[in-house]
Amino acid sequence: MGLLHLEGVTKDYALGKTVVHALRGLDLAIEKGEIVAIMGPSGSGKSTLMHILGALDTPSEGSASLEGHDVGRLGEDELVTLRGKKVGFVFQTFNLIQTLTAQQNVELPMIFLGVGRRERAERARSLLEKVGLGERVKHRPNELSGGERQRVAIARALANNPEIILADEPTGNLDSETGATILDLLKRLCADEGKTMILITHDPDAAAIAGRIIRLRDGRVLEEVRHG
Amino acid sequence: MVSEFLRLAAQSILHRKLRSFLAVLGVMIGIAAVVGLISIGLSLEGMMKGQVSKVFGVDTFVIMEEDTFTRGHGGGATQFALDLPTLQRVEGVKAVAAIRQRTAFVQGGTGADGKAAQGFFPVMGISPEFSTEFKAFAPETEFEPGGRDIEEGDVDVVVLGAELAERLNVAVGDSLLIAGEKTSEMTMSVIGILKASDEDESQGFSGGIGATEDTMYIPNAAMDQLWPEGNDYLVTAVKILPGFKVDDVADRAETALKAEGSRVAAVTSGDINDFIDTLLGSISVFLAGLAGISLIVGGVGVMNTMFTSVLERTKDIGVMKAVGAKNRHVLSIFLIESGLIGLVGGAIGTVAGLLLSAAACWAINTFANLPGGVTFPFVVSPGLILVTLLSSFLIGALSGLWPARRGARMAVVDALRYE
Repeated sequence: MGLLHLEGVTKDYALGKTVVHALRGLDLAIEKGEIVAIMGPSGSGKSTLMHILGALDTPSEGSASLEGHDVGRLGEDELVTLRGKKVGFVFQTFNLIQTLTAQQNVELPMIFLGVGRRERAERARSLLEKVGLGERVKHRPNELSGGERQRVAIARALANNPEIILADEPTGNLDSETGATILDLLKRLCADEGKTMILITHDPDAAAIAGRIIRLRDGRVLEEVRHG
Repeated sequence: MVSEFLRLAAQSILHRKLRSFLAVLGVMIGIAAVVGLISIGLSLEGMMKGQVSKVFGVDTFVIMEEDTFTRGHGGGATQFALDLPTLQRVEGVKAVAAIRQRTAFVQGGTGADGKAAQGFFPVMGISPEFSTEFKAFAPETEFEPGGRDIEEGDVDVVVLGAELAERLNVAVGDSLLIAGEKTSEMTMSVIGILKASDEDESQGFSGGIGATEDTMYIPNAAMDQLWPEGNDYLVTAVKILPGFKVDDVADRAETALKAEGSRVAAVTSGDINDFIDTLLGSISVFLAGLAGISLIVGGVGVMNTMFTSVLERTKDIGVMKAVGAKNRHVLSIFLIESGLIGLVGGAIGTVAGLLLSAAACWAINTFANLPGGVTFPFVVSPGLILVTLLSSFLIGALSGLWPARRGARMAVVDALRYE
């Protein structure tokens, strides 16, 4: 069994009076160390798939397991803890907390897992150094450029040393040059630290760093392409 | 983890300075009103009890008409019958001093028209012990030159107010005639005339012992001769011997007097303090209740601020939950935030309330010109401060509970999607 394993996953949710069938029976297995890109047009179910892969949401039917834990059977608190330990998120809009400094943003996931103050601070600083922001630990998000914010978000995603990095359009709000350096950084970190990465993206350049590209349409897998 | 949450909450408060300030202001005004009013109430209590202990000490009680304190009338003393020797014989009694009051026909000196000045006037019988054993009961009196107070052993003497002396056309050394019961009458020599005071002050507590200008004072020895039936007592003060307890002696005195048919009650300083507590207690509760309304308004302000804060940070809530925050973590962060707003408002409000009360005490002491050296003490109650700070934190936290629960229960996916 892979690191992430989806079997017959469907996801329905209500949107006003209509029911949206976001995922319609999806099978997927992702192995440790893979970089997988998930592509597809808007409304193809990319975001819903990411929520389920990241244990942010549970399937309506079918099973989704993360390292052997069936996320549909976990209680809310267990799900949160599993997510906090195993998954790091990088969002399109960075989603940093504006009132906190770069270092405090990186420390946040560790706070909720109860990591001690000194260890937290050390780890946050070394992660920020790793993403090239060693000089800007005390800056708040509004004092940083878009690329720098995304670097902070990447450092935050790595805070609890998770198995999986889930990046949802990580270059979507960046210019192409900055986007390219962010993709390089993500790729390098995943290789160095042996992380599994799932990239949700529209951008073919971004998808190019992946070893496998999964195309979705209408809540189903349209095709799977493996690179070298 | 609490210290981290505290820091997160504090940073959020500081980030929204103006809005947080307004919420703090709302709580502050409420708390200042509560603390100020209660402190002024405590000052009033301190002033009243201070007066009571100044007059009573620990070894004195008074005998009053039975219903004086229960019937709740306007504070005037009611006359009652009393057998003074019975009281003097009670075990533990050291000294007794009484005030009696009658209205009598009085005839003074001859006026310019050749006729004697005369009329009906209030006559007060005073025990000379007031000026020896019960000095606190009798305020300092000043006499016109050549006059003196009633002393032990005096019988046929009289002290008058200045105005009355003029009306009766008498001076120190003259004599006047007081008619008593049936055909008894006495010729009294005027030994003192009370100086007319600048201000019209009535000495509240001592029940009319003070210098009022249209009253004459004679020794109780003379009262006994003029009106042998002692049913005209206003107040009787009793001092106990050392080694006795004032409550025990008061009980014995009351029992002994009631056995003789007197409708009296022995009132100790403890009884009066209880009475003050009851009276001020209900006033304080009423005032604190009024102030409490403004506190509720302050709480609603905190609630409003917290709803806005939760709404604004919907996305942050989503992020925190995505990176491992449980519902109770989110709840704690918001509760601490609203509690802090309450606490800061409470702390500033407490200081403001105390300043308010200090200012009120100062103003009363400076401008109100209270009689007889009465002062309004400024009271700082540590218990009140502690309770206020605790409850202001609770008010803040409670006001934040509803918004915080809404934030904590938000589904992470919905919260992340929120723009």
